[in-house]
Amino acid sequence: MTGTRSQAQSPARNAGLHAVLGVVVVLVLGAATRFLEKNVPVWFEGDVAKAIEYPVYAIVLGLIGNAILTATGWRERLEGGFRTEFFIKTGLVLLGASINLKVIVTAAGPAVIQGILLITSVFLFTWWLAGRLGIDDKLRALLSSAVSICGVSAAIAAAGAVQARKEQLAYTASLVIAFALPSIFLVPWLASVFGLSDEVAGAWIGGNIDTTAAVTAAGALVGEDALAVASIVKVTQNALIGIVVIALTAWFAFRVERTPGAKAPGIGEFWTRFPKFVLGFVAASVIATWYLGTVPAADGKEVIAVANDLRVWFLILAFVSIGLEFKVSSLREAGWRPVVVFGSAAVLNLVLALGLALLLFSGFTV
Amino acid sequence: MFSMKCMTEPPTRQESRTQFNEDWAATVIGLVLLVLVIVGVIPPGLIP
Repeated sequence: MTGTRSQAQSPARNAGLHAVLGVVVVLVLGAATRFLEKNVPVWFEGDVAKAIEYPVYAIVLGLIGNAILTATGWRERLEGGFRTEFFIKTGLVLLGASINLKVIVTAAGPAVIQGILLITSVFLFTWWLAGRLGIDDKLRALLSSAVSICGVSAAIAAAGAVQARKEQLAYTASLVIAFALPSIFLVPWLASVFGLSDEVAGAWIGGNIDTTAAVTAAGALVGEDALAVASIVKVTQNALIGIVVIALTAWFAFRVERTPGAKAPGIGEFWTRFPKFVLGFVAASVIATWYLGTVPAADGKEVIAVANDLRVWFLILAFVSIGLEFKVSSLREAGWRPVVVFGSAAVLNLVLALGLALLLFSGFTV
Repeated sequence: MFSMKCMTEPPTRQESRTQFNEDWAATVIGLVLLVLVIVGVIPPGLIP
């Protein structure tokens, strides 16, 4: 009896130990990122070395770590510690502390309009195109949610709503990251080619790039103001997940699977699906805005700078985890059709998001 | 599109639940860290 129980406990204990080891790998690569960010500009004089920001080091080190762990057979075992979603959400809550509440309130209006228009048009286009190419309804729902809302977290929420299979979620997540990685560098570069203001560039990045971690990386490459607007736009889209997930739950229960006696999802379902870190982001802004109003400006700035340092650490850990999580094998399994759907939707998203950013955020200042 | 082995795997409710827990964890840890910074428990210069 005892032997059977200890045999059953052993895999769970091993999984826990491996997850802790995974976190240690992320922390070590995060520390290496910080080291390179501080020292490369000292070692190599010139503009290029100075221009390389921490997201670049973090993602590249994550991808190198991924290759080494995959080659040695350790990646799968340690992946429980690669908590991209947790790291990015904690980083975003801390980011709220560096954004004045007034900026969030002012940007919320255009961000909601941009979010509703983008999500609706990109979701419906992706759903239609995936249907034309004969893709399974559950994968259609995952692809449409991921490309139109906020990448991996939207795919996870949609997967729960439509009861998708694990490998469909893994596939969608890999596709999101495969498209997000080049976007992190491409969109900031295009923004500079087009001569966009930091605020418009931030709105474009937040509206177009799918996954929240990649939005933060691209925003950080453009600058602090772009990062602030990109985060507000993306956090707004995150908040809209709940509505899309309720619609998907109802659609699959009543139209696709026609479950007998299925109940319509209500406000409770909305609250369950609502990304709670959005509340943390706003709460951090409220706390910091109040705090800065009660102390001398220089003291307040010094204190918020510490919160910013912590935020950068969490973002670095998230970017390292993106690199570590990237998996090519699940992309090969599903064939070319979902890639065509995702790619076409990404192009539509890119163009629409640029138009809406120019329309809604020209003249906006942080 | 996917192999039969994959077809038999359970659906994704577990991932969905994990994500919600991460949401709360990120919110609580982020806000606790901010409060610790404001009250001076994490002073300037401590974060490398």
